[in-house]
Amino acid sequence: MVRFGLCRPECIRPNEVPTAMSITDSRQDAPASSEVPSAAVSGSLLGSGDHKAIGLVYVVLSLLFGAAALIIFLLGNLHLVQPDFLSSSASDTLLNASELGFVLLVAVPLFLGLATYITPLQVGAATIAFPRAAAMALWTWILSAGLYVVANCIDGGIGGGRDRAVDLGLLAIVGLVLALLLATVCVVTTVITLRSPGMSLDRVPMFSWSMFVGGSVWLLTLPVLLANVLLIYVDHHYSRPSEFGVSSVQGLQIGWAISQPQIYAYVIPVFGIAAEIIATFSGRRQPNRGAMLVAIGAFGALGVGAYAQPYFFPEVRDQIVWAAMGVLIVLPVLAILGGWAALLRSGRPTLRSPLGLALVSVVLVLLAVLAGALATITPLQLRESPMVAIGQLILIVAAALSSGIAGTMYWAPKFSGRFAPEPLGLLAILVALGGGVLAGLPWVVLGFANRFTGLDSASDALQYVSLVGDALIAAAAVLGLLALVGSFRGESAGSDAWGSGQTLEWMCSSPPAPDDFADLVTVTSAEPLLDAAAVQEA
Amino acid sequence: MAAPALPAAPPVQRPRVLIVGSAFVSAAMIMTFIGLIGIYLTQRAAIVGAGDTWLPKGSTIPLQQPNTMLFTLLMSVVTMQWAVHAIARNDRVNAYLALAITLFFGLSTIVMTWYLYGLMTLDISTSSQAVLIYTITGLHLLVLVVAMLFIALMAFRALAGSFDARQHDGITAAAVFWYAVVAVYALIWITIYVTK
Repeated sequence: MVRFGLCRPECIRPNEVPTAMSITDSRQDAPASSEVPSAAVSGSLLGSGDHKAIGLVYVVLSLLFGAAALIIFLLGNLHLVQPDFLSSSASDTLLNASELGFVLLVAVPLFLGLATYITPLQVGAATIAFPRAAAMALWTWILSAGLYVVANCIDGGIGGGRDRAVDLGLLAIVGLVLALLLATVCVVTTVITLRSPGMSLDRVPMFSWSMFVGGSVWLLTLPVLLANVLLIYVDHHYSRPSEFGVSSVQGLQIGWAISQPQIYAYVIPVFGIAAEIIATFSGRRQPNRGAMLVAIGAFGALGVGAYAQPYFFPEVRDQIVWAAMGVLIVLPVLAILGGWAALLRSGRPTLRSPLGLALVSVVLVLLAVLAGALATITPLQLRESPMVAIGQLILIVAAALSSGIAGTMYWAPKFSGRFAPEPLGLLAILVALGGGVLAGLPWVVLGFANRFTGLDSASDALQYVSLVGDALIAAAAVLGLLALVGSFRGESAGSDAWGSGQTLEWMCSSPPAPDDFADLVTVTSAEPLLDAAAVQEA
Repeated sequence: MAAPALPAAPPVQRPRVLIVGSAFVSAAMIMTFIGLIGIYLTQRAAIVGAGDTWLPKGSTIPLQQPNTMLFTLLMSVVTMQWAVHAIARNDRVNAYLALAITLFFGLSTIVMTWYLYGLMTLDISTSSQAVLIYTITGLHLLVLVVAMLFIALMAFRALAGSFDARQHDGITAAAVFWYAVVAVYALIWITIYVTK
């Protein structure tokens, strides 16, 4: 374990470390002493306020849900090519459950899990802000996820047919959103308030920055989804006096949450994870770092989609703002790619599986935004069909999973103290890239069926290709999970596992000890470990 | 591989964690209401644009009670700020008094809302207008209760000696959330109760 100097207890104000904590308490700079219940240390997860245990549970369950949701999505879509396989209503239930699940059970919690684990380490804090609230968010999410699954199993999902089960499903969605919002508040507050001295916002590690941007966008948009679901619930519960609770329009009211531009908001952390990995494996400082931060911020700003609710504002997709956002969002992605190209060219990148997976995730995001930009072109008439939106959704899910697996493999030494198995990672690269492209692009191509009649005859073939892609993405999620589990038996890693870490998490032991970052350290740039190495060499 | 060490930092005054967290929670809460009120205004514009009245025939919402609630909540903003001001000067007696009065104002608002529900001739199971109005005002009532619990929790911690002139983040954070709740009520007052 690396020590950082003397403990300075005077930096902790007396009232900030109460012996009995309420949910609003934060330990801030307090040493994570034996007072902090740590799952890693005590082996007890239930009731743990340890950000590492909480983050790990999020990651594991999100990957599991990811594989399950994709299989369910596959089964739901199988109805399109094998109509006898399932009834239409069963197919709709599966598709509705999986599509909303992609956001609330997979993408957002996966990134929140990584952030809950890594962000405090990156900013040099002993713990996350509001550890008890973070634990409450996790358990609320798990409980709500269970209710969501149960409700969907008994015909109670969005647009379901059994009244009480639908109420249960809607309340489960409310619980999921509230849990994710609470977890987001913990992460974003950590980035804002618990940074080490000298770490101004422009020196925050890229992943923490992307979580700050993404978390802010989630805090501004997911409450609007909550508002929609509450309205559906009240109307449905009180015998549907208006149209809000009617089964056939429930999905339409919340459809904006899984369409562009909102859908981009869920993959903002993809850029942060990729930036960390690329910088580490290239061994160089990111040139034009400020521009990269601005580009990630711009991507987040252009991903705010709570205003674009076609059910309530049918003309919103004909407005210039919607079209402009759909086109302009390509620019920050290209700017970020340009920045990384410069970085990779200046360094000697080591080709490891996290790097490959990170690049796959970015390619998939690029494909999604390009498909979205096509959808804004009115003469193409792609908006009239849901095909492109479905393709985008799948590409985004594949990107989120690839990025999550990349982050899992990259930070595996911090999770387990050991490296994740490289062969599994290399296999995951191929499977994730193949799955994302095969699953997403056929839908985008099918969007052109209204202009090219020949595509109709190829529809079944394209659907089958897409189904294979779904299965591959599910397999990638399983590979990610296996890699995480395998890392507990892998080759042991030191504190700076890759030997070229730039940010503070690579300074603490692998896995982090309870008293890592008990002492504050001063940082003087965005790459404090490179500074320290330079000083040491000098 | 071991990482090189960085120099230890001098003592720092951290930004206010609880206040920042409360600000984020307040922002999320405000966005929930903005989402609901956006739908409310859209539905209202569609019905009024079609030449009908927004409220169904025979339904009324009196204005006296909402006005009273608005002024009660505005007064509670003053008392909440009084509590922050007092605790910042170690004047604990005034802080306790101000927090108690704020909670009383909150309780009065809940009672008044309940009374208003009794006066409103609007059945939730009969119209979309009623669904919207009861969802928005009911959610605000729920948020008001949460804010009161937050204040009560901080008041108990103050009674236990937790806060002083140097460190009173808890009271300030509760105040931030309370102000947001009052601001949301002002929005509800103008959009639902005044612009019927």
